[in-house]
Amino acid sequence: MAECAIELEKCSYTYDGQVRALRNVSCTIEAGSWVALVGQNGSGKSTLAKLCNGLLRPQEGRVRINGADIRDRPVGSVAREVGYLFQNPDHQIFAPTVREEIAFGLRNLGFPGEEREQRLRSTLEAFDLTAYADRPPAVLGFGLRRQVTVASLFACGSPILILDEATQGLDWQRSQGLLDRLQERQDVGHTILFITHDMRLVAERANRVMVLHQGELLAEGPVRKILSRPHLLARASVSPPPVTHLSQLLRPWGMKGDSLTVEDFYLEYVALLAEREGV
Amino acid sequence: MGPGFDLYTAGTSWLHRLDPRTKMTFVGASFVLLLLTGQIILVLAYLVVVHAVLRRAGIPWRRIGWLWARMWPLTLLILILWPLSNPGGEPVLVQWWWIRITLPGIGQGLLAGLRVNGLAFAVYVLLLTTDQSGLVQGLVGIGLPFEWGLALAIGLRYLPLLLGMYGTITDAQRARGWTPEEEGLVRRARAYGPTLVALVIGALRLTDGLTLALAARGFRPGQPRTTRRPLQLRWADRVCLAGIGVLTLALVAAEWIYL
Amino acid sequence: MAPFVVLDDVHVSYPSPGPGLEAPRILRGVSLSVAEGECLALLGPTGAGKSTLCLCLNGLIPHLVDGTFRGGVHIAGHSTREWTPGELSQTVGLVFQDAESQFVSMTVEDEVAFGLESLGLPPDEIEGRLAEALEVMEVGGLRSRSPLELSGGQKQRVALAAVMAMRPRVLVLDEPTTNLDPVGKAALLRAVSRLRVAWGTTIVWVTQDVDWVPHLADRVAVLWEGQIALEGGLREVFDQGALLRRMGLRVPQVRELAARFGSTGLGGYAWLGVDEAAEALRGRLGG
Ligand SMILES: Nc1ncnc2c1ncn2[C@@H]1O[C@H](COP(=O)(O)OP(=O)(O)OP(=O)(O)O)[C@@H](O)[C@H]1O
Ligand SMILES: Nc1ncnc2c1ncn2[C@@H]1O[C@H](COP(=O)(O)OP(=O)(O)OP(=O)(O)O)[C@@H](O)[C@H]1O
Ligand SMILES: [Mg+2]
Ligand SMILES: [Mg+2]
Repeated sequence: MAECAIELEKCSYTYDGQVRALRNVSCTIEAGSWVALVGQNGSGKSTLAKLCNGLLRPQEGRVRINGADIRDRPVGSVAREVGYLFQNPDHQIFAPTVREEIAFGLRNLGFPGEEREQRLRSTLEAFDLTAYADRPPAVLGFGLRRQVTVASLFACGSPILILDEATQGLDWQRSQGLLDRLQERQDVGHTILFITHDMRLVAERANRVMVLHQGELLAEGPVRKILSRPHLLARASVSPPPVTHLSQLLRPWGMKGDSLTVEDFYLEYVALLAEREGV
Repeated sequence: MGPGFDLYTAGTSWLHRLDPRTKMTFVGASFVLLLLTGQIILVLAYLVVVHAVLRRAGIPWRRIGWLWARMWPLTLLILILWPLSNPGGEPVLVQWWWIRITLPGIGQGLLAGLRVNGLAFAVYVLLLTTDQSGLVQGLVGIGLPFEWGLALAIGLRYLPLLLGMYGTITDAQRARGWTPEEEGLVRRARAYGPTLVALVIGALRLTDGLTLALAARGFRPGQPRTTRRPLQLRWADRVCLAGIGVLTLALVAAEWIYL
Repeated sequence: MAPFVVLDDVHVSYPSPGPGLEAPRILRGVSLSVAEGECLALLGPTGAGKSTLCLCLNGLIPHLVDGTFRGGVHIAGHSTREWTPGELSQTVGLVFQDAESQFVSMTVEDEVAFGLESLGLPPDEIEGRLAEALEVMEVGGLRSRSPLELSGGQKQRVALAAVMAMRPRVLVLDEPTTNLDPVGKAALLRAVSRLRVAWGTTIVWVTQDVDWVPHLADRVAVLWEGQIALEGGLREVFDQGALLRRMGLRVPQVRELAARFGSTGLGGYAWLGVDEAAEALRGRLGG
């Protein structure tokens, strides 16, 4: 049996005793998997993310990271295992320069001076931020601020990554760069929980999808299975990416209706065409 | 998240619906009374009444408790320092080296401590039950130009906003492995350095950003605006105003006579 | 139709980041015009200066933001230098990229009413528009909440409602869909096109969500290295897939699919929408 990186057991969370954000959510995320978390605005995705690193504590239920309950651990200690990317970069950035922003986590996690410098430099390079190292993050555009937050998370190297709208404000090339970096992390066994509204990215990159709806877990399963259920998605205000939608429109003509990528669709269609013309 | 960005506690109680000007009059009258009186019992009574009023208006105990928690350090400071710095009168309770504490000194300290809380709660009655737009309108209603009203309302909002920002910043730091809980006292104090720097920068940015945000929403200094809910003194307001007036006069007169 | 928004050789630099460092020149001669009632989608890689351009449109640059500004921006024939940003904002409504930095009030309803009060509207009209805007963006249930204590997407919805309620003649949307769920994106685009029909609103729409561009835009412009590098009708611009990719951008997914078919000589398609593609592909399967 694969190990559980994140496990929520019957978790509920209510803001200020009034807004019920999560109700009785149970789920498990296997170590080494890439899970996309999708759902309507206000369905509780960010709240769930904050439960997983202890920034919010469930009023009911338990949260286990790598099998251990985090109830009694301070957030700073959970952070060694769980890296969290805030939805709004401005909620995450606080240091006066980009360099210090990235170094902060490294220092806390106890990397010695030499290695810290090394990691800092390579992170700046990997995310194209070397030119901005000594700038105050506040004067960078939104996309670059996003990039800074992602970089500071990656530098720490925590084995579980929770990313809330990681690609917002990034152009296609930078998004792909970020996703490739994530892929590398998954390849060495790290776990990724990826919150997004961009279903194209979900289809192209994730292994599994969790769908939240009004604070409850509506469905969970392999990407292909979930994305090919339009009614289920519609209930959660989500729609599949264009090619998946297209393949569903062509179901009566023999398409399976679960293409995830352009290539996927193309190959299936061409095979279908050959079959028709062969007959 | 901290305890909210705003003191205002949404509701539809009679207190919420009172005209902000009525509540401002109440604050004014409370200040006169509290600053004038020398009776601990009167200040205590005032606090009891205000709490009853807040409860009647549906403000939860949790909220009120939170406010007391904010006031507690200042109150404690007054309770300790006042008797020390006002060592006049008899009987003397403690006399040791230069320290001299007298019963009247303690009494005065108690009065001052309670009074500060009374003053604060007078303002809380207004802030807990009046939203920002009501506040601005109330201030404009008592004769301030709109920009001043807005500036004041925003100023009042600033403290809770900074508290919220403090929460946001420390959340960000803890999410990246910051564990002040595990440090000793001295190192913990030092660990808060970056937090303070961030808070100052954040506060400055807040002000800058607000200028842009206001302009982007068509706000022009000195130009007339309308309001969604124009103020009106309703029947309940008149009754309250009359009540406040009579009570204040009576109490002031009583002070005068017994002085 | 007559151009309603005109940028004429606009240059913008921000203050130098430190002693001895060059001031970053962000816009370097941007010329662009948008006709009345038209919707222009503005694409461009991260940091290209899209948000900077938006700030020029409602006069925050040069009036309130530090930096240098050269060239001219004209709205309805008037230079933005002639107006104060407050005045200009009543004609040009800007929804900030970061919704949170746009908030000035402590409740959602006051937030939406604020702009309407600036316009000097009577109370019952304010009430009416407020209710309508909240309903269109599906945030009616959040009226008395603080805009700072909402989910990311809810914040974005409130920010959009607040500006759309003002019914500005020019609506500038700076990446308005990033935090919206897919159904919310569709709802926003419907609401904006209703504004266009009802009031002839001119729209400048910055976005990375290219799959949605064909739903609303009439024309596309691409900002790259400080200038408009590419401009034209949707098909014209999205035909330049390779060029766009070099600039770090992508084309709508069905257009990518069309190109895939083209690459093996299976057809010369240029779809932009799913329905269009379905039609063609269905035909080939014989139905
Ligand atoms: N700080 C807060 N105080 C009070 N309520 C909150 C707060 N943050 C979020 N909420 C409420 O909790 C619910 C869940 O919010 P959450 O941020 O988890 O949603 P989400 O799924 O991340 O949505 P989005 O896609 O818009 O980011 C929403 O109804 C929201 O209004
Ligand atoms: N106030 C400022 N001071 C100095 N430089 C700034 C300021 N605002 C933005 N910049 C810089 O100007 C460049 C363009 O920023 P802008 O926000 O206009 O780009 P953008 O195209 O909107 O990018 P994004 O996709 O990230 O939103 C960025 O490199 C940014 O770092
Ligand atoms: Mg969220
Ligand atoms: Mg931008």
